[in-house]
Amino acid sequence: MFSNLKRDLVFPTIGSGLLFAMLVGGGLLYSSFGATSRADLVTALLVNAIMVVGIQIFIGNTGILSFGHVGFGAIAGYAFAVLAIAPARKSTVIRNAPWNLNEVQLSPVMAGLVAVVVSLLVAVLIGFGLARSGAASGAVAATVITLALLEVTHELAINWTDLTGGDRAGLSFRIGQTIESRWPIYLALFGAILIARLFAQSKTGLLAQAGREDNLAARAMGINPTVQQMVALLVSVAIVAVAASLRVYQIGNITPNFFFLEYTLLTLVMLIVGGRNSVTGALLGAVIITIGSEFTRYLAGPSVSIPGTDWILRDGLSRIFLGAAMVGFMIFRSSGLVNDWELDQWLYRKTQSGRETAPSLPEVPEPPAPIRLVVEDVTVDFGGFRALTSVGITASSDEIIGLIGPNGAGKTTLVNVITGMVQPTEGKYFLGDKQLDGAPPRMIARSGLVRTFQNLRLFSSLTVRQNVEVSWTVAESHHLEKANLSVDEIIRQSGLWELRHRRASELDYGNSRRLELARAAALRPRFLLLDEPTSGMSDAESDRMIEQVRATARSVGAGVLVIDHDLNFITGISDRIYVLDQGRVIAEGTPGEVQADPQVQAAYLGSAAATD
Amino acid sequence: MTELLQNLVDGLGRGSIYALLALGIAVIFGVMHLVNFAHGELITVSAYVAYWLIQGGRNWYVVVPMIVLTATLTSIIIEAVAFRWVRGAPDFTMLLTSFGVHFLVQAAFVMYVSASVKTYARPTWIADTYNIAGINLEIVDLYTIGATIVTLAITVWILQKTMFGLSLRAAAEDFDAARLMGVKSDRVIRGAFALSGVLAGVASVFWLMRSGQATPSAGEGPMLKGVLAALIGGLGSMPGAVVGGLVLGVAEVLLRAYLPGSVASLTEGVVFVLIALLFIFRPQGIINVSHAERV
Repeated sequence: MFSNLKRDLVFPTIGSGLLFAMLVGGGLLYSSFGATSRADLVTALLVNAIMVVGIQIFIGNTGILSFGHVGFGAIAGYAFAVLAIAPARKSTVIRNAPWNLNEVQLSPVMAGLVAVVVSLLVAVLIGFGLARSGAASGAVAATVITLALLEVTHELAINWTDLTGGDRAGLSFRIGQTIESRWPIYLALFGAILIARLFAQSKTGLLAQAGREDNLAARAMGINPTVQQMVALLVSVAIVAVAASLRVYQIGNITPNFFFLEYTLLTLVMLIVGGRNSVTGALLGAVIITIGSEFTRYLAGPSVSIPGTDWILRDGLSRIFLGAAMVGFMIFRSSGLVNDWELDQWLYRKTQSGRETAPSLPEVPEPPAPIRLVVEDVTVDFGGFRALTSVGITASSDEIIGLIGPNGAGKTTLVNVITGMVQPTEGKYFLGDKQLDGAPPRMIARSGLVRTFQNLRLFSSLTVRQNVEVSWTVAESHHLEKANLSVDEIIRQSGLWELRHRRASELDYGNSRRLELARAAALRPRFLLLDEPTSGMSDAESDRMIEQVRATARSVGAGVLVIDHDLNFITGISDRIYVLDQGRVIAEGTPGEVQADPQVQAAYLGSAAATD
Repeated sequence: MTELLQNLVDGLGRGSIYALLALGIAVIFGVMHLVNFAHGELITVSAYVAYWLIQGGRNWYVVVPMIVLTATLTSIIIEAVAFRWVRGAPDFTMLLTSFGVHFLVQAAFVMYVSASVKTYARPTWIADTYNIAGINLEIVDLYTIGATIVTLAITVWILQKTMFGLSLRAAAEDFDAARLMGVKSDRVIRGAFALSGVLAGVASVFWLMRSGQATPSAGEGPMLKGVLAALIGGLGSMPGAVVGGLVLGVAEVLLRAYLPGSVASLTEGVVFVLIALLFIFRPQGIINVSHAERV
């Protein structure tokens, strides 16, 4: 479940305890001076914090904006209220409740559990909807599905009066029947923080974050992001349901507007102000927004009067504050105050990174028995444009094959076809005896054909190490070939050891290319498909890249199909070369043979030589 | 049969309003990939302008152009104040920015006007019907449909025949390429917001004539419908947005008319469920706009 027990289990547990202690300690300190209303404010803050942490698990890990979590809250809140309120009380508002629910009474704990189960059932349905809609980070269709959930629950709450008591009455506990002690809230809060942190550090969490960073690259690394999205949704909804039950139990009643747009705004603002990709951030945001709302309410209240400020210090200021916080943060600091900073990871790096020792460079293993990649008669039409015409290629995993051709020759299209991202109009391709055409990109990646991208698609806000860990984790969980190299060894071999804790987005161009190669190698490929691995590099960098491609291929036992339009690079690295021009293979052979081919000189080298 | 025809015309009347809103949303999505949850604020602001003008004794002949003008100016102002600063940001950021603007405008009206409903006199002919061969048609539906046809015709002319329309379509196709070709991104985006504002203004006129109310959340309902219509049609497709609006309007009226009594009050909910189902089975909407990602 975790890749590194200390980093992913021990420190997050300690960190969760610290965050919990700071939040509760601060709250107790604040409420120990002053009126009892302060205690209520702190209770509300703690309950909202549970809710926000619950929402963070989904939005933070998947990058999908959900308006629906408060809708799940509505479902859970009503389930809790209907089951936990005493029958005598219910008989006045929901005398005709379906399934005689008006005569049922469960203990608050049991009612809360049922509320969790009911909202999880709805979450499964919504999860399938998200999966079908092809949800990716920031996907609009996914957001609208969640918005539809919020609207439908609101509509039901208003109109299904036999169950909900409708818009006016709502459902309420008898005075004195509401929550008596804060312990359930403490327990739920600590549990929520711990679960959120452990989820983010788990393998599932890491793969979800990879999908959030770049859905296409995640699929090219063998991930099916919808699986992690579903898990994140269920974990997140369970916590939201607990928070909603506590909110109803604490306040003592529920009406349709209780869990609707207003509360959606409040919780989303809390989440984004702190930093939606961080649990620490979610808690920080909850505190800041609670303080800010209270303060603006105080400023707008009767106890403050500053001449000339009547126009701004008036009722409704706290709503303006929330709206302005949302717009302001989106414009000036959309990743929130702390971005993805986590207290426990900071502690881990401070105390542990000095103890990490660079692994020695591994021995080169015996190469495995070679396997053949065969592409037969692949033709691709884009509308009326024929990008590839009956292209055939054969490569063995003990060689490096170059694919060269001028811009627009169809090189990248060929890689897209072989990795399942473009479906060929005609043609087949095989790895060994396994036919791969028609398979989705993630299955092709898991079968051993792994690509890099011409325009660099790293998981940019993950660290260098996490980028490699993502594909390593995929290889491990799908029981691909036994690994020759550990994550650290791969990083060391790529020359990125010193940079392992850096974010991928902070790397320079050459190191980004190296990381992309390392990430592909960690998936234990039989073939590496490299799309212009040296584009934009200087000659010296390019030579270093040749060395790294060779070393990587040898150490993971993979063949290489490398695409480029740079003749020196391709002839320097390849055992054999295919020349592509206008969608056709026009020559094939050793570097020497290809260079001597008159057709090649005319189509490609002639023009290249002229500009050189 | 006559009932069905009446419902169809009623649905097209409603649908025309949704179509104009959806088209505005599609135009903005085309140039900056923003789904504008603040589109309804154009209606909210117009609603208060209508309320104040009618309170002041103005005739609807004055109110109508003022509504269109208000919506257009509001659209341009919102772009300049908020959306300009998130151009090119990730979709997540833009979605939340527009959601935030929606709440800010709403909060401002609660703060400076009132949270309660302000009513104003609707046009005297609003409930009149027109009888053709035994079918009672509401005049306001006919006006709405007529005005929508004229507005759409002018919009098509702008998109097809003017330099601005060409740049706008080019930008919607491929923004970076359009910019390389010399399209001024700033001017196109501002123009798109202005056009979207005019379209919302025309929609507002008929929405507000029917409702007779100004509230801080007046635009929320129609905004949601506009966004949904744009999505039904396939986000980014302008013809799709118009079709989506009409489909949504007709579907709503027919569902309200023919759903069994106990469920009829949940029409909105049913519409949402149907739309969620549509996305599940056809995420790209009715009209497929291929935005294949380049790799």
